[in-house]
Amino acid sequence: MQFSVEKDHSPGQWVLLSYRLPREPSTPRITVWRKLERLGVARLGDGLVGLPADGRTREHLDWLADEIGEAGGTATVWLATPASTSHERTIAKAMQAARAAEYRSVIEQAQGALGSIEVRRVQRRLRAELRRIERRDFFPPPEREEARAAVAVLGADQDVPR
Amino acid sequence: MRWVTRAGVHIDRAASAWLIKRFLDSDAEFVFVSDPGQMIEGATAFDMRGAELSHHAGDCTFETMLHRYELADPVLWRIAEVVHEADLDDERYDAPEAFGLDIAVRGLSLVCDDHRILDITSPMFDGLYEYIRRRLILGREPA
Repeated sequence: MQFSVEKDHSPGQWVLLSYRLPREPSTPRITVWRKLERLGVARLGDGLVGLPADGRTREHLDWLADEIGEAGGTATVWLATPASTSHERTIAKAMQAARAAEYRSVIEQAQGALGSIEVRRVQRRLRAELRRIERRDFFPPPEREEARAAVAVLGADQDVPR
Repeated sequence: MRWVTRAGVHIDRAASAWLIKRFLDSDAEFVFVSDPGQMIEGATAFDMRGAELSHHAGDCTFETMLHRYELADPVLWRIAEVVHEADLDDERYDAPEAFGLDIAVRGLSLVCDDHRILDITSPMFDGLYEYIRRRLILGREPA
């Protein structure tokens, strides 16, 4: 689900994961933390994260809840609607800002690779990185198009048979 | 035998259903339920929360089933890597096929019901199996 942060609309449906994990061992905590980062969740509080609800996000949080249970923790998955649009907008803006920072990092790396002999390799790596960011980008910032363009232009002047 | 799974089939359930039909139970009958925790009397649940045949320790359901039924076929294990990446996208394996396969099945889920998705993806997985089998034997892309 992708909708604009700016547009006036009624709040959408979110899927929330409320969880607790024992402090030790730390490995499952780190695994869960990494998976949540990869999904691009909004951190709503201590042990509470959320994503705009769709089939894929619900499923990911369902599995994560199971995994937390297997690791000795507790987790519940909720479907929720923010009571006010302004709360939703604040959360969405924070998520958007996090993605914008990731896109800016891609843009910087792309610009840094211009003219380098490694430019093709860098382009392949950044394309994969862009795909990963876009999958967790629910409120695309303007930086997305800039990052796509910055990666696309890499190697454009080097179109010779390898 | 009856097998139950969640409605709204994506790659892991489509692949698991194919595995069941081809390798475990040729008379398999599939039931789809909307609650991810809902069990049905007399039916074996797969890819559902709390089920034995489900995600475990970072494995997807297809991988769990290969372990559970001791299917050691290397072709199936390569398919498992593709399904794992398409489903979980955690870069545990290098499986570039996953991205396209995932989109193909997600696309089907927009225009077909669950039974129809299984009907369509079944020959697709037959083909994938044959492709990977020949690739393993030949040591190169077979087609």
